[in-house]
Amino acid sequence: MSDHFIKNIEIKNFKCFENFKAEGFGRVNLIGGKNNVGKTAFMEACAINIYSIDISKMTDVLGSPKLAREFLEIGSRVGASKEEMQSFLELANHYSAISNINDVEYNIMDSDGIKEYNFQYKNKNFKVNINDFSFERTKQNNIKFITKLGFTKLQLKQVFISVQKKDKEEILYSYINEFDSNVTNFKIIGGDEPSAKVIDRDIYQEINEFGDGLKHYISIICSLYACENGYLFIDEIDNGIHYTQLDRLWKIILTISKDQNVQVFATTHSKECIESYARVAKGLEDDEITFFKLGKNQEGEIKGMVYPYDWFVDSIEQEQEMRGW
Amino acid sequence: MVRVFVEGADDEKFIIKIIQDLIKINALLLPKKTNFKSYINIMGNKMKLLDASQSKYKQVTEEISLGEIKKVLFIFDCDFEKDDNNCNGLQASQKCFYDLKERLDWSIPIDFYIFDKNLDYFLVNTIKDKECYEHFDNLVECLEVENLRPNKKPIANLYRDLYPYPQFDFKDDRFNPIKQKLLNLFKEQK
Repeated sequence: MSDHFIKNIEIKNFKCFENFKAEGFGRVNLIGGKNNVGKTAFMEACAINIYSIDISKMTDVLGSPKLAREFLEIGSRVGASKEEMQSFLELANHYSAISNINDVEYNIMDSDGIKEYNFQYKNKNFKVNINDFSFERTKQNNIKFITKLGFTKLQLKQVFISVQKKDKEEILYSYINEFDSNVTNFKIIGGDEPSAKVIDRDIYQEINEFGDGLKHYISIICSLYACENGYLFIDEIDNGIHYTQLDRLWKIILTISKDQNVQVFATTHSKECIESYARVAKGLEDDEITFFKLGKNQEGEIKGMVYPYDWFVDSIEQEQEMRGW
Repeated sequence: MVRVFVEGADDEKFIIKIIQDLIKINALLLPKKTNFKSYINIMGNKMKLLDASQSKYKQVTEEISLGEIKKVLFIFDCDFEKDDNNCNGLQASQKCFYDLKERLDWSIPIDFYIFDKNLDYFLVNTIKDKECYEHFDNLVECLEVENLRPNKKPIANLYRDLYPYPQFDFKDDRFNPIKQKLLNLFKEQK
């Protein structure tokens, strides 16, 4: 497995995690668990950890999950105002996560009424007075986070550029046609309208006019190419995807992630999605996958357990409950 | 969540039938759509079931430490003493189970049930009072398979194939101990 993959992480005082540890992650990791056990928060914690290689990127990622939830738009809100960014960083106060990749900490310190942002990453520590902070944000292009609300048109356009640069359009078209035999081709029409071609009407139709599933499916495929040697996080991976398409989707994810050396984390609530994941991984003999189950213990603390390939496939074959406890 | 450990698929089917019967007579309250298989781990055979180093037990150890599994029940055969195995016969089986329990070192309630000889023998015993039973014995004797298959599996399988559900009379008192073990297991289970 690649050295850049997250293999273990320890999260402290971030959202629902007080003192949380997990280890044994693989190239592709599906996360299951009941509501409010921190599936999305776990992915956010991982994303912040690996994204934080300098202050501007750390600022971007600390603000981004909040941006995504508040405004439903992550990519198009890059120009958030200083006041907005200040409030997002305020809300993100207290983050600490140590992984095999990075040691990241963030909090707001208050001494004698003077507030300072305290950033720590890659064994470096910076304290910046809030009034002096530039709030400059830069992106780490091979780390993508697809929220449950899906990509905006701008985000979809950005990841499609990677497909074009790698001359993978034909492969994308064939995947789209397998998903819906009446749809083929994908283009950015007029510079900013992602569109796909409807075969029987011989016209290009804006992507938002199709069902959510197709847009989600294309977003995932394009992001896998955009995240070469990086990371892809997908919240509620089966959102809008019919269960009959799940094997196809997992086959694509397992194949491209291996080819492009991408570590994938995804969440689901669906039994069919979990079973499909196990079935496809077994069929492809891909033992670099894991299943990560989250739940609460009797004290109400959130705990997680990584099932390596063997345990996971065996548990599915024995029809054990994998959707959390 | 509770978990039952058994040797093989026949044991799993049998346990599910007893659970279904307990639900039917309102002795056990579980949702109708419950997948009973999710409560049962098939270990493969008795030797694996009594081997603490099995990968499945490492997995369950973690699941217990997270608070997911709260009670367990082991169900297995005591088998025949004459067979050359350190864990055969009732006393030896019990000793092997206590060794397993010690090595697993799980801090949750652990219970066990050992079939006299084996599951098939146990099941066949519960139908011995039937008038027709002598014909099963006669058939086994006629085919001269008793020495080859002393575990009563041929009779149990033949009986299962011939009779529609319910194949076994779960009202028979001989089922009470295992029923009680299962009721204790699922008691206060959430």
